[in-house]
Amino acid sequence: MIESAERGHAAHVARFESVGVKLPERRLSTHELMASTRHPAHIDLEHLTGIRERRVCSEGEDSFTLAVDAAHDCLSRSHHQAADLDMVICASITRYRDGLTHVFEPPLSLGIKEAIGASRATSFDLSNACAGMMTGVFLLNELIAQGAIETGMVVSGEYISALGANAARSIRAVYSRQLASLTLGDAGAAVIVERSPDEKPGIAFAGFTTLSEHSRLCTGVPDRHGAGGRMLTRARTIHKVAMQDAPPLLKELLDERGLRITDIDWFIPHQTSARAIRTGMRVIGAELGGLPKHTVINCEEFGNTASTTHFVALHRWLTEGRFREGEKVLLVSLASGLEVGAILIAMDRLTKTHGNVH
Amino acid sequence: MGTCIESVVTTSSSSSIFRRGSLHLAEAAARACLERAARRPDELDLLVNTGVYKEKNMAEPALAAIIQEDIHANPGHPPRHGHHGTFSFDVSNGGCGCLTATHLADSFLRDGRIRLAMVVTADADPSPRSSRGFPFRPVAGALLLAHTSEPVGFVGHEFRTFPEFADLFVSRLDWDPAYHRMLGGHGGNVVEVREDPSFAARGIECAVNVAQSFLATAGLRPADIHLLVASQYPADFANSVAQALGVGSDLVAHARPQCRMAHTAGPMAALEAAAAARTFDEATNVLFVTLGAGITIAVALYRKRGRSPLCLSTSA
Repeated sequence: MIESAERGHAAHVARFESVGVKLPERRLSTHELMASTRHPAHIDLEHLTGIRERRVCSEGEDSFTLAVDAAHDCLSRSHHQAADLDMVICASITRYRDGLTHVFEPPLSLGIKEAIGASRATSFDLSNACAGMMTGVFLLNELIAQGAIETGMVVSGEYISALGANAARSIRAVYSRQLASLTLGDAGAAVIVERSPDEKPGIAFAGFTTLSEHSRLCTGVPDRHGAGGRMLTRARTIHKVAMQDAPPLLKELLDERGLRITDIDWFIPHQTSARAIRTGMRVIGAELGGLPKHTVINCEEFGNTASTTHFVALHRWLTEGRFREGEKVLLVSLASGLEVGAILIAMDRLTKTHGNVH
Repeated sequence: MGTCIESVVTTSSSSSIFRRGSLHLAEAAARACLERAARRPDELDLLVNTGVYKEKNMAEPALAAIIQEDIHANPGHPPRHGHHGTFSFDVSNGGCGCLTATHLADSFLRDGRIRLAMVVTADADPSPRSSRGFPFRPVAGALLLAHTSEPVGFVGHEFRTFPEFADLFVSRLDWDPAYHRMLGGHGGNVVEVREDPSFAARGIECAVNVAQSFLATAGLRPADIHLLVASQYPADFANSVAQALGVGSDLVAHARPQCRMAHTAGPMAALEAAAAARTFDEATNVLFVTLGAGITIAVALYRKRGRSPLCLSTSA
């Protein structure tokens, strides 16, 4: 794995300063989605995935609006103004604006930074499938560590439920390569990463690698029969290779820091399905000789929100006041590519700035 | 310590009948670039793809991951213990993608944590029969970047956007129900590129503005620039920027004819031509200026100290 600079070797350390989310109001239950399939599929998707419902965009909502609203939400909890941001990275897989029009140029990030007033920021779009936001954080952490920037935002808006709607037209059975599209839900998320003012490392370490021999196991392309895209996934194979290849990499990353998996207080995986996460945790337990104290599963209500899943979950747990200062939170990406990445954050005063709904 | 360029290669496709997609072009460029520097694919730590118009308009995975697999850059697991493996992702910033990627790669290479990175890019019309207004020639490029312990290489990047000109160049993929496919069926997702006639002129003005301010901050005069490497689209961008800056026309790098009107690979094509003509060898200060939709301008200074084994290979 390419890893973040060791403390002591970097000029600065970085922390999460604020997390923001935008969830569409409209809810679509798995029951409703499965009732919309053109052919009788006889698939108990809720049983297979644990996903009861997902949020979906309504008229006037798309990747761009979700991203902008999430960025505003993030800024509303931040002590930074938009004008303070040195960099804005948009990590959406779906780059839909004005409905289902996919934007190539100018990049979506440019429109987002202008919409929020981050006029000084450098901006670009980043594609790394569902690891996009995590990759963006990895890059910001690096640029902050080297002193190239002080504050940046990673933002993503995923209007990805359209893939599910397209899949519902063609799915006939549980072995369909479009089955995973039915797990998708829409969300926007944003995170501000800043140079830690007291030099306490909120981001303790990060590491990423690409096991590209699996690069073609999940691909997303424009749909042939309508607007938006379609995603073709060899779901069982990708799950199998991820479970085979990711645990040793995680172990190596933790071992190098003298950490054990049991030292991790909160483990936030990519939210594909509750069942897949529970299976994955059993494998991690066996391979790494133990389990983290808690595993965050958030997809029952929101589905797989693609590049935003970690930050939708992090935001919810912050808002519900579940974290305590000093706890270790490990965010782990497994995404098409096959991208494997991990970011360890030491929970700090972020717990105080995100309220507590209880 | 810094980041220096080890090699650069571009590939182009001239046949419209036997069309080569962007993936095939990118992989050819990546392989040739490694070969030119006498490097093995498994030495690559980082692979960043910056092409905008991708094979089949693929949204995931990152095209860089597919390129990584196909050129055999540590595709499998487990990477050797203590070895990084290769990390791949895509960046999209229009015509400024190349310098966006060199900026990101530089942050990893500078302290020697990784040793070798590649910026690879390709743009080819994904659906030539249906797209509208696609202006770019199918060209791919690969730029190999290495850590160097010497104080040479990229010494500064600057990016600026001019959103008041955001509408002058717009490209998108949209469902067109009126599009008829050859083998039946109605409708299709169609690439459309719209360029305002004033895009080139506004782009040149913005680029000159940013480059002048960049040079002033760096304490350099136009006479201190020994080579200008610029975007190859629009056609007169490089010459016009040089003229407005006061950089001699003989110091402007021009891509070979097959690579003119290249999109994201344009600066690489110009650099490759300068390397072949030995003008890169003679330069100490190389100024990169690129233009993207937005309008986005990226400027970078690349500083050499004579010829060095770690600097650009010109063996082609």
